[in-house]
Amino acid sequence: MSMRSQVYAWNGTGFGTVAAANNYVAANAGVQISVFIGGLGNNITMPAETTATEFVVIEDIACTPSLGTNGGSAAAVGAGAEQLTGWLQNAAEVEVAGSRGYVQVRINTTDYFLNPDNVTNDGIPGAASPYPRSLGYQPSFNLYPDVYVLPGQVWDVRYTSYQSSANQWGPAVTNLTGAAHNVFCKYTLYDGPDALIANKLLEMGISINPGNVDWYKRSLLSAQ
Amino acid sequence: MSMRSQVYEWSNLAPGTVAGGGAGAVLRRSQNDLPVQVPANQSTDIFIGGIGNNISTPAETTATQFIVIEDIACTPDISGAVQVRINTTDYFQNPDVTQMNGVPGLASPYPRGSPSVNPTGNGAATTAAQTLVLTPNNLLKSFDLYPDVYVLPGQVFQILYTTPVGTGATQYALNAAGQVVSAFVKYTLYDGPDALIANKLLELGVTINPNNVDWYKRSLIEQQTAAATAAVAAAASNGGAA
Repeated sequence: MSMRSQVYAWNGTGFGTVAAANNYVAANAGVQISVFIGGLGNNITMPAETTATEFVVIEDIACTPSLGTNGGSAAAVGAGAEQLTGWLQNAAEVEVAGSRGYVQVRINTTDYFLNPDNVTNDGIPGAASPYPRSLGYQPSFNLYPDVYVLPGQVWDVRYTSYQSSANQWGPAVTNLTGAAHNVFCKYTLYDGPDALIANKLLEMGISINPGNVDWYKRSLLSAQ
Repeated sequence: MSMRSQVYEWSNLAPGTVAGGGAGAVLRRSQNDLPVQVPANQSTDIFIGGIGNNISTPAETTATQFIVIEDIACTPDISGAVQVRINTTDYFQNPDVTQMNGVPGLASPYPRGSPSVNPTGNGAATTAAQTLVLTPNNLLKSFDLYPDVYVLPGQVFQILYTTPVGTGATQYALNAAGQVVSAFVKYTLYDGPDALIANKLLELGVTINPNNVDWYKRSLIEQQTAAATAAVAAAASNGGAA
């Protein structure tokens, strides 16, 4: 098992498992947090880091989607609200339904996603890379080329939400407890000999994926 | 990290007052953002247009950068459309070579799968009774930006959002007519050596994408390896002859 497909899913309440003090709440809005060690929701014990014999390829990141709204209309009719069924207006103002969530990848101290003026931004909007996906929320964004985490590097997936209970639509209770905030990361972990091959492929300018690692192994065998 | 997939999302959201709505532009999003009115029939640069979230300088490639725009999309409501402008030239034009607003949000919706009309409140008299009502359709894209749009080193590019009707007035009381619209661009930034390779591929007439840049790197390495092997073989044969 030296090439392994892995996922990490984060929820603002740790899927209901963490203490209330560690829930993602409205007061955390606007602050970028680590989904690994941010102290909110479900976390892991230490920063995500590759050892000298590991190579990680991040293939997808996603978070809770959002949707812009119009002001309420007395004539409004309709149905089929998808994930937003039952969401309530929190106050008199109307703007975005959902978490207004963004997800960024950080390698060591460098953020991956930048604005065109080369200033770091909040990352990928959940509306562009939604989690979970549905008929109503499909991805506009594909993380290609993948993000490589070389041996010895520290990496992080960081989430920012601009939801505020004051002027947004949200599930009346869950927007306060964080259950409506989700982040997802899909990556492949190459370990041992396969990590060495991944490094070799990187040197050769070949995309690192399980197919190419297998191709390199076959070419070594045929050379012998 | 010399080839990087990037996105930029714009919304007409900026801090303001509940009575007056959002105002102007902002460099960083905040949880206090409110909709800023977008005028009708006026192209708004999503980078530096002065409405919603903006960046500090015009979007421009340096001498060592190459950008490939792979997707543009916008809110389908109120007939929104997005246009790409390179330096002073609009990419999308009518068959009679006149100006147009660009790709309609109905053809390239953002978010993909969103309803054709923004959701609204159900018209209840109090906020406690307001629930969200959506038009029951899920738009898929009819438009694919292929071939991609290239922004060469040193060029300025703009993404312009236009709506022929404008968004509602900036009064955000219950049941008022505020509207949130968004635009989205997905591009790949090639930097340093990869930007040079991108230029070379352009000269060769080869499509610029991460696969082809990697292919070009491999072919360079293979050429160098072959040249080194040939040199060793030549040296060996010369030595043998002597």
